Amino acid sequence: MAAYIKLLVFVVIHMFLLVSADVRKKEESLGDKVQQLMEWNNKKSIIRLNGDKFRQYVKASPRNYSVIVMLTALQPQRSCVVCKHANDEFQILANSWRYSQQYSNRLFFALVDYDEGSDVFQSMKLTTAPVFMHFPPKGKQKKADTHDINRNGYAAEMLAKWVGERTDIQIRVFRPPNYSGTVILALLFAMIGGLLYFKRNNLEFLYNKTSWGIISLAIIFAMTSGQMWNHIRGPPVMHRNPNTGQMHYIHGSSQGQFIMETYIVMLLNTAVVVGFIMLNEAQTMKGDPGKKRILSLVGLGCVTIFFSLLLSVFRSKYQGYPYSFLFK
Amino acid sequence: MADADLVVRNDIRSAMWNPGGWKSLLSFFILALAWLAGFSARLFAVIRFESIIHEFDPWFNYRATHYMVENGFYNFLNWFDDRAWYPLGRIVGGTVYPGLMVTSGSIHWILNLLHIPIHIRDICVFLAPIFSGMTATSVYLFTKEIWSPGAGLFAACFIAIVPGYISRSVAGSYDNEGIAIFALMFTYYLWIKAVKTGQVFWSICAALSYFYMVSAWGGYVFIINLIPLHVFVLLIMGRYSQRIYTAYSCFYIVGLILSMQIPFVGFQPIRTSEHMAAAGVFALINAYAFLKYIQNFLTKSEFRYFFFAAVTIAAAVVFIAVVGLTWAGYIAPWSGRFYSLWDTGYAKIHIPIIASVSEHQPTTWVSFFFDLHILVCAFPVGAWYCIKNVNDERVFVVLYAIFASYFAGVMVRLMLTLTPVVCVLAAIAFSKTFESYLKDDSPKQNQKNADEKGDNKNDRLYDKVGNKKVRDEKPKDEEGLGINVKSIIVVALLMMLMLFAVHCTWVTSSAYSSPSIVLASYGQGGSRTILDDFREAYYWLRQNTDDKARVMSWWDYGYQIAGMGNRTTLVDNNTWNNSHIALVGKAMSSNESAAYEIMRALDVNYVLVIFGGVIGYSGDDINKFLWMVRIAEGEHPRDIREVDYFTPQGEFRVDAAGSKILLNCLMYKLSYYRFGQMQLDFRSPAGFDRTRGVEIGNKNFELTHVEEAYTTEHWLVRIYKVKDLENRSEIKKPHKPVKKSKRKPKRQTVRKPGVIKHSPKVVKGKKVKSPKTTKTPPKTGGKK
Repeated sequence: MAAYIKLLVFVVIHMFLLVSADVRKKEESLGDKVQQLMEWNNKKSIIRLNGDKFRQYVKASPRNYSVIVMLTALQPQRSCVVCKHANDEFQILANSWRYSQQYSNRLFFALVDYDEGSDVFQSMKLTTAPVFMHFPPKGKQKKADTHDINRNGYAAEMLAKWVGERTDIQIRVFRPPNYSGTVILALLFAMIGGLLYFKRNNLEFLYNKTSWGIISLAIIFAMTSGQMWNHIRGPPVMHRNPNTGQMHYIHGSSQGQFIMETYIVMLLNTAVVVGFIMLNEAQTMKGDPGKKRILSLVGLGCVTIFFSLLLSVFRSKYQGYPYSFLFK
Repeated sequence: MADADLVVRNDIRSAMWNPGGWKSLLSFFILALAWLAGFSARLFAVIRFESIIHEFDPWFNYRATHYMVENGFYNFLNWFDDRAWYPLGRIVGGTVYPGLMVTSGSIHWILNLLHIPIHIRDICVFLAPIFSGMTATSVYLFTKEIWSPGAGLFAACFIAIVPGYISRSVAGSYDNEGIAIFALMFTYYLWIKAVKTGQVFWSICAALSYFYMVSAWGGYVFIINLIPLHVFVLLIMGRYSQRIYTAYSCFYIVGLILSMQIPFVGFQPIRTSEHMAAAGVFALINAYAFLKYIQNFLTKSEFRYFFFAAVTIAAAVVFIAVVGLTWAGYIAPWSGRFYSLWDTGYAKIHIPIIASVSEHQPTTWVSFFFDLHILVCAFPVGAWYCIKNVNDERVFVVLYAIFASYFAGVMVRLMLTLTPVVCVLAAIAFSKTFESYLKDDSPKQNQKNADEKGDNKNDRLYDKVGNKKVRDEKPKDEEGLGINVKSIIVVALLMMLMLFAVHCTWVTSSAYSSPSIVLASYGQGGSRTILDDFREAYYWLRQNTDDKARVMSWWDYGYQIAGMGNRTTLVDNNTWNNSHIALVGKAMSSNESAAYEIMRALDVNYVLVIFGGVIGYSGDDINKFLWMVRIAEGEHPRDIREVDYFTPQGEFRVDAAGSKILLNCLMYKLSYYRFGQMQLDFRSPAGFDRTRGVEIGNKNFELTHVEEAYTTEHWLVRIYKVKDLENRSEIKKPHKPVKKSKRKPKRQTVRKPGVIKHSPKVVKGKKVKSPKTTKTPPKTGGKK
């Protein structure tokens, strides 16, 4: 019991100390601020700030250092996917600065999470996240001190360029080499090798033409349905009309496409191909003619119906296309 | 085809009774029709406009061909073109694939020898359509080797009209691809022939055809990687044979030596990574052959041991050699364009000049469908049956299909290499289906088969229907499918093929047949106006400027200025020197005086810009302007910043809300000079830009260092003359203080004292200046 009381007293005293320390911090001189920031920076390359710290270290006036602040919402319940990616890039940039030759106390990287400093967001009149801002040592913030994510993206290289423009500190972005691809590739090869080794007495499956055929066709389908475009351009899965709330699976113009749309096209292509194969198999199949007849008619139906569906999807995207088949 | 020719010429009577003779006659006839159909489908542009060279690159090819025809081949190879890339020049002979020029040059020579006078331009215009027929023939031969003659006829008909190939081979598009696809397919045919027969003759033929391909197009790299891949996969599959060894060794060695004869290729085949796969496979197949030979002398267990040791050592040696040589700099790493095929994000970050070209973009499914229509759905079926009934040569087609579809997915431009294989495989699919559904017990089935094929190319529906009726009446007692089911299926498939033919014609006429030199606009009642501004401007340049005059323009128009205007250009479509292009981009995106310094340094006499604001032409320089800025920024990040050309909201606007730097840069001024006084119609204000649909932001400005020289009828091309330096050049210096001072009064809203305050400073000491300085303040006043 006594120990408990002692602990309580200890805690209370500490709290007082902390509060008084806080009060003292506000009158801190420039040197102390820099020192504090450097201390934090030694632990982590990005300094996490809450509302108070933000005002004290970033907003308060005696400063001789630039601060790059990322205002973001990293908590999982905010479900901000972009923030995660942006945070990774920001981390890469901050690390490149932290471990570079020219590392000094002229520039700091900081982060404000919405759930820790929502007041900051309100004071800066921000409604979106993530936002990258530069706080110059002197003078007011200008328009260009906010990094334009929409135009330039949040790749570390672009951020570095922007930082270079604003602060005249050129950071060479050093990306930790991405071994994950290599590791996955090595694992894949090891797995294939292992599989072959364990099955070395029964390598029949390697001579199975059907599986090889399916693999080849899968590659062809993926390519002809524009998956490579998706990979390079990264379009949304589908589009939700903000006014009506209706979902659009198919992009309105022939210049773009949604991911869902490419899957639909891939399915349609596959269906046509399956129809064709059925048509051909019906001829060679042994059995009663009735079955053959049904199979060939189903095949024909597959080919014509799905092809005309594909044609009408194309028609809806390509304005002024005059032809259609079976249905519009 | 030659067979058929003979048959036609020889004894028709014996052919009448010989089914083989009928077959050859029919295939000859169908191929001839395919040739004709392919040729005439490509003539839309000639009929609508005139016999004219299209677009950009063809103009250079035409100019080079013209030069070769006039000066001879050796002078052409040694040609140093001082009219391009001023002041650097260009060694044309060493930087082009001469196959195209040599081809049309020799056609010209032969025709002249036969006393058929024809201008070289007409040969250039019609070269690609003629070659499309040859492509169709070689695709027929290829498919015949792979599958069957029937499939070959289908493939020939498909390739003759498929838009994916027409897009690069309409009359007037005088470009490498036009003849290269023929060379590509012919090489593949000869290669397949060599693999099948194992004769040195065929592989040497393949090497010769490969040599023609190398001389014609940079895409030969595709061949020299695909054939080794084929050999490699055959080795893995355990399909090694003496035939393949002979075919590949002969092909590789002869092909290598021949390809190094092209000056532009030179030592690349042994020094760059793109060609290393071929060398590696060559080493591998020799090692394999050696092992096979050793096998004769060893016992089975000994050999097994030896085999593993040898394979490991060989692989290690090859790998270390390649890595070591690359590291030591003997083997160049992948060049940017090829590298961007594998690492798809590479070009976007590192090479804006590659990323800026529209044909280097990835491909949407729409363009696959647009270019291939039903074939894109049908060709996997062909691949499926090739895998199911695999043999040596079908492995090749499957590999070709997979890799070409990957490349076509990455780059729109490579759709061209995919198209032939799509035609081949789709032909196999259709031919197989028709073969089984048109089969009946009567012995004449072959003929009818071929008939159907001929028909669907000509898309004469009534013929098909007629044919079917004939067949309908025959077999009633068939045990398989009923005749009704069969005919339904055949009719449905034929209708789809007919749709394909109609689609091809529509696409060709609507999308791929515009020369882009001459524009056409259609009025309300379908009336047509021809806008011939480009040629008007280039002809003006040719007639009214000094022979040595240097014209600055964005690189897109370099070849055209050289080809039609015959004037020296600074940059052109052969974008080999990024920094030079960036310099032009910088001049275009700087303000007038900064641009003047660059233009003086580059000895520019005339500046040419394309402006579409009057007629609403969207491909003009203002719309391309951001790329100029971007490329300039890549080289001069201190002076040019892309951000400056956007509004604070991040928009690219030319109206009053646009960024000040944009509204005062050279490109803007040259495009919109005097445009502010022009009212196009009564509904819109003066200076209304129809392309961007806005009223321009900076009207009524004057130009100091350049003056308008010529503007074409629809203002599409505007040419400006760069003025000489003033007689008294020292007057220029006080400009700067005056210019600086004009900003301050701006903020203080035209306070006269401000202007007067500064003026004594300027006038101080020198009397001469006063007339010059007084000129500027009113101008600034006008600007506001």
